[in-house]
Amino acid sequence: MIVPSGYGLRPLVPELVLLTAAAAALFVHLFAGRHGRRAAGYVALAGIGAAGFALALTPPSAGPLFGGHFVADPFALYFKAAILLAGALAVIMAFRFFDVEGGEPGEAYTLVLLAMVGMAAAVSAADVVTTYVSFELFAIPSYVLAGIFKKERRSAEAGIKYFFLGTLSSAIMLLGLALVFGLTGSTAYAEAGPALAGAEGRAVLVAMGRVFAGLFFKAAFVPFHMWAPDVYEGAPTPLVIFLSTAPKAAVVAVLVRAMTSLFGAYAAEWRLVLQVIAVATMLWGNLAALTQKSLKRMMGYSAIAQAGYLAIGLAAWGEAGRTAVLFYIVAYIVMNAAAFGLVLLVDKGGRFDESIDGLRGLARRAPGAAASVLVVLLSLTGIPPTAGFIGKYLLFTAAVEKGMILLAAAGALNSAISLFYYFRIGRAMFLEEAVSAVPEAGSQTPESFSRAVTIFLAFCAAVLLSLGLLPTLLTTPAVSAILSR
Amino acid sequence: MNVFGIPILTFVTFFPVAGMLVVLALPTSSARAIKLAANIFTGLEFAVTLLILTRFDAGSGEMQLVERLPWIKSIGAQYLLGIDGISLLLVLLTSLLTFVATLSSWGAVTGRLKEYYAFMLLLETGMVGVFLALDLLLFYVFWEVVLVPMYFLIGIWGGERRLYAAIKFFLYTLFGSVAMLVGILVLRAGHHSFDWMAMVAAGSVIPAALQGWIFLAFFLGFAIKVPMVPFHTWLPDAHVEAPTAGSVILAGILLKMGSYGFLRFSLPLLPDAARRYAPAVAVLALVAIIYGALVSLMQKDMKKLIAYSSVSHMGFVMLGLAALTPMAAKGAVLQMINHGLSTGALFLVVGVLYERRHTRLISEFGGLSSRMPVFAAVFLIMTMSSIGLPGLNGFIGEFMILMGTFPVSWLWTAIAATGIVLGAGYMLWLYQRVMFGTIVHPANESLKDLTLREFATFMPLLVLVFWIGIFPKPFLDVIDKPVEKIIRIVNPAHFEAPR
Repeated sequence: MIVPSGYGLRPLVPELVLLTAAAAALFVHLFAGRHGRRAAGYVALAGIGAAGFALALTPPSAGPLFGGHFVADPFALYFKAAILLAGALAVIMAFRFFDVEGGEPGEAYTLVLLAMVGMAAAVSAADVVTTYVSFELFAIPSYVLAGIFKKERRSAEAGIKYFFLGTLSSAIMLLGLALVFGLTGSTAYAEAGPALAGAEGRAVLVAMGRVFAGLFFKAAFVPFHMWAPDVYEGAPTPLVIFLSTAPKAAVVAVLVRAMTSLFGAYAAEWRLVLQVIAVATMLWGNLAALTQKSLKRMMGYSAIAQAGYLAIGLAAWGEAGRTAVLFYIVAYIVMNAAAFGLVLLVDKGGRFDESIDGLRGLARRAPGAAASVLVVLLSLTGIPPTAGFIGKYLLFTAAVEKGMILLAAAGALNSAISLFYYFRIGRAMFLEEAVSAVPEAGSQTPESFSRAVTIFLAFCAAVLLSLGLLPTLLTTPAVSAILSR
Repeated sequence: MNVFGIPILTFVTFFPVAGMLVVLALPTSSARAIKLAANIFTGLEFAVTLLILTRFDAGSGEMQLVERLPWIKSIGAQYLLGIDGISLLLVLLTSLLTFVATLSSWGAVTGRLKEYYAFMLLLETGMVGVFLALDLLLFYVFWEVVLVPMYFLIGIWGGERRLYAAIKFFLYTLFGSVAMLVGILVLRAGHHSFDWMAMVAAGSVIPAALQGWIFLAFFLGFAIKVPMVPFHTWLPDAHVEAPTAGSVILAGILLKMGSYGFLRFSLPLLPDAARRYAPAVAVLALVAIIYGALVSLMQKDMKKLIAYSSVSHMGFVMLGLAALTPMAAKGAVLQMINHGLSTGALFLVVGVLYERRHTRLISEFGGLSSRMPVFAAVFLIMTMSSIGLPGLNGFIGEFMILMGTFPVSWLWTAIAATGIVLGAGYMLWLYQRVMFGTIVHPANESLKDLTLREFATFMPLLVLVFWIGIFPKPFLDVIDKPVEKIIRIVNPAHFEAPR
């Protein structure tokens, strides 16, 4: 066995902080009465902040910890930071959502934190068992979160759907992990990886296929995406921000680690599969988004398509590919948070209008927010000077450098397709007039704009612009965080 | 050379953005201040671009005033600007036409002024950047930056079918430019650099077969922008729906981005492929010349007529570039400027009429020359410039293109010359129907002649039309060396063969 190094619990502090905050939020929610629900949210936000602080102080260490179950290398820390970012953005938007909709479920904050503990552990997992356990630790709260909004039937449907398909995929993945143990007699990546390289090929491919199928499901790669549009449409919007970003970051991290240290010897096979998946995911997500009328559902498909671009980087592999993935995941989190945050901008008398038409004439009524959204749309489409462009640029370059010119071309073509639906939003905001000229009889819905959401969108736009103009801000940490074999 | 401590090329690129920020900071209610600020900024921008001339060595074919900073180190992208004679003329054209277009908007644009001028200024930064960027990634960034403001200019201040025209323009160009992006990536994989100067110095290190693919990817991007038949269908829609100033800039400058890109990147960076595909490009250009002219003859809408005439004229430019001789290529560069001046002015002419009558149908007019004598003179000069009357600018460019193409193929030259005849046909017929005859429509009786402001917008264009037509030497001197340098790379055989 690997000798545990002398760090003690120190590398685990961020997870422990999150766990403590989760417990604290639960108790605050229980004992503080009606107002406790929001207080639980503040505890959660503070917990995420504290975890971020702890993360900044955590020294990266290359070696395995806790008997080879856990690593706190720069790669893991980078992804933990990304997950914390996603969680913080989601919690902030949750305040806005429940302010308007009411029915705030205080336990949601606890569940978000618990899921984040699972994700943070998953990106550090260097052992088959740890991987699975931490995976379930974030999967189960996710199912509950999808269905937590009792006012909304769609939410319940989303929760059930996510739960059944999710457990099925977990089971398949568990079988794959068990096969790894069966083939190698070891659960630690460091030992199982080299052993798999010498094991019988077909059995390894079966194991790999199952593990990847489970991961692809959570990342909503086509054809494992069936749950995603319904969950992204049905779950409360702030939790969609969370569910569409943080798990994807965690899954990509687990995937990269598994591809590096567990199945590294089978690169030829998984790269082929990933190419197919990348193209299918981009194409399916973009084409399906073209026909949507609901802003939220359209953004759900957009989130699927965006994951397809990530898969280009995984397929290209190499240092360039992995750097690109690290860059894009952060851009993806910010873009997606802003895209779903947009749904929360306009309050139409106690509810949110989720249709694209609801954004008509926004440039006149809320010019600042509209300008921010424009930047986000450019970034989503991949038009410079935004982070989305640099991210896509890095992904496509990585593919071209590996000779996958057609894959890059498919990605570029998809960017052009995506323009069409992203700019339906731009068109509604800037080019069309508000429909309110003809008020419906009896339903005078006073609309109000949220200052908080406006600031939120401006923040996201500022991040995307500055990463687009000065990408070195993020490429430098990304380059130093990539996993070397 | 510095302006306020900022290197001049950076200054001319980003000065309009500063103007945009000022315009955005002004209160929405003070329309006059917004207009004034925008005009001052575009005017100053033109003045500063003229300042480049004081430090520009016209006798050199090399890049000058080069500014180089690391930008994205991990992928080798640089902030790299430089200027040679070709870029110089196009930058001057850009700053002049933007100024003219801004001035022409004073009375024409009434709604959402702040956004209008902000987009106009942002557009200028994108266009100037395209002509100055020597790093391919930077070039791509500016190339894309141009799309967004133009989309809004068409989509917000355009005509009836503006929504359709705006997204069509955006989608077409984006499809072209993502193809170009892939081409840039493959090119970079071969050169390990985005640096135009380094790539030119390295010569053709990329195998010819791969060059062919990159050439096609670039060509898709540039041909859509130019636009060449069969990628031209976005142009009539965009032109007809765009506001006057948008049309001026679209025809005057945005189309040149395509031909400029072809000359600057496709030819010297992919010389083997360029030689191989040049005849095909020339044939497409000839198709555009004839097709554009024939379709122009059929138009009932003045703006659409001039839009299709652009297809024909840009066909001349592309023919000149595809001939791969220094004479034809120089003619093509000059013709880019000429087309910018004359077509820009013609769109302003249409704009003047549209502001007065709110229609662009040719049949609505007739006999205007008796009511608007000054306007009639301006219109006539620009018509003649567009046709290529000797003594005006269009003649020089077209003549050089034909002369440079003749040694390559007499047939091409003959077909292109037919295009000139057709061009004279549709332009003179247009002029005749609008300006001559008797006034049939009562609303035309009381039309006012050009105001002083309107005349002022035409003035610089008129001066240049005559200047280039009578004494083109200064313009040709500037582009002589840089064009020859590029043609020497792509077609060295031309210089070896006995004349």
